[in-house]
Amino acid sequence: MKNNWLEKNTFHYSDFKNLKYLVEQKEKKNLSISLCLPTLNEEATIGKEILIMKSELMTRYPLLDEIVIIDSGSKDKTMEIAGEFGADVYRATDILPDIEQFKGKGENLWKALYITKGNIIVYIDADIKNIHHRFAYGLIGPLILSDKIRFSKAFYDRPIAIGKNKIRQTGGGRVTELVIRPLFSLFFPELTQIMQPLSGEYAGFRDVFDKIPFPIGYGVETSMILDIYEKWGLEVMAQVDLEKRVHRNQDTRALGRMAFVILKTFLERSRKLDIIDIKKEIFKEMIQYNLVDNEYNCDIFTDAGYERPPMIEIPEYCEKFGVK
Amino acid sequence: MDKYLKQLPVFADRIKAIKETIITNVVLIGQIPAPTFREQIRTGVFMERLAENGVDECTMDGYQNPIGIIRGTNPSKPPVFVVAHLDTFIEKEIEHNFTVHKKTITGTGILNNSVGVGVLASLPEIFRELGLRFESNIVLAGVIQSIGRGNLRGIRHLLKTWDGPIRGAVCIEGGELGRLNYSCDGMKRCEIECNVPVSAAGEYKFKQNAILIIHEIISNIMKMRLPQMPRARVIIGKISGGFKHGIIAYDAKLGFEIQSDSDKMVKSMFTDIKDIADGINHKYNVDLELKTISTINASGLKYNNPLVKSTVAVMETLGLNPVSSPSESEMAIFLSRNIPAVTLGLTYGKNYHLEDATIEIDPLFKGIAQVIGVLKAIDNGVCDEK
Repeated sequence: MKNNWLEKNTFHYSDFKNLKYLVEQKEKKNLSISLCLPTLNEEATIGKEILIMKSELMTRYPLLDEIVIIDSGSKDKTMEIAGEFGADVYRATDILPDIEQFKGKGENLWKALYITKGNIIVYIDADIKNIHHRFAYGLIGPLILSDKIRFSKAFYDRPIAIGKNKIRQTGGGRVTELVIRPLFSLFFPELTQIMQPLSGEYAGFRDVFDKIPFPIGYGVETSMILDIYEKWGLEVMAQVDLEKRVHRNQDTRALGRMAFVILKTFLERSRKLDIIDIKKEIFKEMIQYNLVDNEYNCDIFTDAGYERPPMIEIPEYCEKFGVK
Repeated sequence: MDKYLKQLPVFADRIKAIKETIITNVVLIGQIPAPTFREQIRTGVFMERLAENGVDECTMDGYQNPIGIIRGTNPSKPPVFVVAHLDTFIEKEIEHNFTVHKKTITGTGILNNSVGVGVLASLPEIFRELGLRFESNIVLAGVIQSIGRGNLRGIRHLLKTWDGPIRGAVCIEGGELGRLNYSCDGMKRCEIECNVPVSAAGEYKFKQNAILIIHEIISNIMKMRLPQMPRARVIIGKISGGFKHGIIAYDAKLGFEIQSDSDKMVKSMFTDIKDIADGINHKYNVDLELKTISTINASGLKYNNPLVKSTVAVMETLGLNPVSSPSESEMAIFLSRNIPAVTLGLTYGKNYHLEDATIEIDPLFKGIAQVIGVLKAIDNGVCDEK
């Protein structure tokens, strides 16, 4: 590797543990910070996430200015609980209702740009079982304390929660190691320095996020890294070790679908960047098979590949935020 | 005293105003596994939370018990202790993550004793919220190695090495609200371990089965004649052994406690059980070992002790009905050193020792107000009366 990005731009959350200082610097730079939690049926974890973030990073240290929930249509009590714990709760379909509606994490993140007010936006998944306020301040730290860094990404030691309340200490990040890392190695070796490009926790300045497109589904993290890299280079990115993150385990079939979308996103982005040339249209369907009663049943997952344009191209957004 | 009694119901409401801070402390500390003898990480987090919540001093004693001190206004007054045990009976590999709902918190170990430890760490913030100052230093001690094989080692060491007198103590436990312990029975916690040597003599006749030998010991213990006065009982609490269904068990272990309000009775019952074990050992020629893992002497305050009377008054002011029974908590070590102490429960809950143990959030604020009421009573001198 030519540069020393890994050494220079990799942090540990404890580097930003002095929250009083972080708040002072935030105020000195006149920044405001929004935390966004995209949700879909997260009633088991959402209350705790909001409670801890609010208690530690709003009441005790005023680092966050708002906590916003963007929900994809939960069938459980996610929205009710989030409201009870004091977050601003929105159903994704109620935001910018006049445009075509999609459903997915990327859609929620994109719409959060319209709803939130901060200069810095922190995105954290709502299914983290061992939530701690380090997940937010660790990502915010580099953005406040460095004048160069515009986007920060989490990485972890990821144990997986398995049945019967037991924790398995190894595993996690399988799609990273089997799909995205080989692809980065082949086409963007510099990006292999990012330990977990698919991690669901990241933060950045509004003027970075509003200039990039957002795929509505699993591909959002991949495209985000490629787009930021292409527009501003690796130097504006940082990664932060947040240590342990306990999350739900996903079965191989679900990971297969995730890998499919990520591969598709990667290929399309690379084609746009003129890095690869694919001679025909690629298919939108992931085909998996089940053996039921000695017969193979076909299970098809479709990724239409919808993508939201950079938010800055949306007139309502420009009007709301005075963008000319 | 009356002045504070009248304020207590208001305190409960005002404490509720900082419930986010309190629950955050409960969650952040309680989610760190801390089986007895492996409390180091939780100790670190507890100290961090104490410091965050603004204690005047934060330190560890020589035994690694974490301690926070809130400085009092009168240096001549001895300190008042508030104690909660940090260790749990839950193995590290079990998931410790809590689920917080509007009215409840669920998670392994929440009742025993994450909620106690979380509240302990929150006290500096709570005192500030209520504008409370005390004459005495308030020592907040999260003690390690308390339960089971820990044998209250942490608190024993802390009090043994504490320099100077102690005015009184409040020990806090998760459940149940209304609990008031001010005495402890004499207790001996023991284990009998049976191992059948591979080449045990007599093998040519019968292969001994460790589980059946333990069974015979239990049967003999059950036949022991125990008096009603002094109260006495043997609790058979734990049993384990064997390898698989079709193999004769080579090893088995029994855990039990002898309890009585008379130390003499505990001693005598222990001797009887030892005789049973020795007899069976001799009969079967196996390796049978009786081990004492914890001992507590009977001690206690009388119901008309000023601390007990004041605590009852505090609880009744808050609409709580005090329920008393002997307890083998940290309080026992204070009492054995003639330091007045009580144990209080903080809230209601269910599934006490299960992975889905659950506490109710709302009663917790009354539980905390009760602790503050008792601390104020001690600070006002109820334990100073001779």
